[in-house]
Amino acid sequence: MAVASVTQAGIVGRHHEEPDQLYVETRELRVQGFLLFMVSDLVLFSSFIFAYLYLRNTGQGWPPPGAPKLDLALAAINSVILFGSGATMHFALENWKHEKFMKFAGWMVSTIVLGAMFLSGQIVEYGKLAVGWGSSGIFGAGFFTLTGMHGFHVFCGIIYLTILLLQAAQGKYTFQKYTGLTLGTLYWHFVDVIWVVLFSIFYLI
Amino acid sequence: MNETLAHVERILAFAGGIVVLFVAAVALKNDWKAKGLENQVFKMMLALLALGAFLAILASVNVLAGKGVEI
Repeated sequence: MAVASVTQAGIVGRHHEEPDQLYVETRELRVQGFLLFMVSDLVLFSSFIFAYLYLRNTGQGWPPPGAPKLDLALAAINSVILFGSGATMHFALENWKHEKFMKFAGWMVSTIVLGAMFLSGQIVEYGKLAVGWGSSGIFGAGFFTLTGMHGFHVFCGIIYLTILLLQAAQGKYTFQKYTGLTLGTLYWHFVDVIWVVLFSIFYLI
Repeated sequence: MNETLAHVERILAFAGGIVVLFVAAVALKNDWKAKGLENQVFKMMLALLALGAFLAILASVNVLAGKGVEI
């Protein structure tokens, strides 16, 4: 049953182990359960997004007077950083599938670092906008609620990926049984995709 | 100083956006024939990732900019 051993390099190695019947039978169910969680999260974001769009289109012109101007250049580079982390996460999973642990770990660390950089960018933007927060009204409410909620998801994602990386290093996953890593990748892509929508509604339209 | 910083951010966003768009497109092409529920979701998300990178490229060159943004 042992699935892990410490190699000469001090890295936990993984032996080949055929997935057991229970794993094979429940894998699809676990993926479906996680997708349902993501759908519920999508509903949460959609509610706030539609509320924001409704208020935006029923107000006295847009943007409302006194609302702070958003920094498009900062948002563009920040978006590219987050989308780049989606690509590095994809590479991490692909390297795991090809049984390359060190490359997997490298891409996972890159993803976590890029996620942290995105959050730092958000904090910088919040710092710039904080001055106009008092007079920003419904715009500020919508902007800070949605981007704050997304930022919280990114923060949780960073913790989630760090735990996955540690578990992978400890040999919790094998190269045949890695549903947890697949679900982590799905979550990170979900966070990316939500930002595509938020970036579009706040900065591009 | 701020204009210089914004200029650098735009250049980086443009270059990074092209790299991410290319990577997402190649990953999507490689995964195109993959089957299974999660692979279908991955493909959809990679396509949206590519779209996001494309939008970021357009924003970096001011082709797309909303009413409430500082250009």
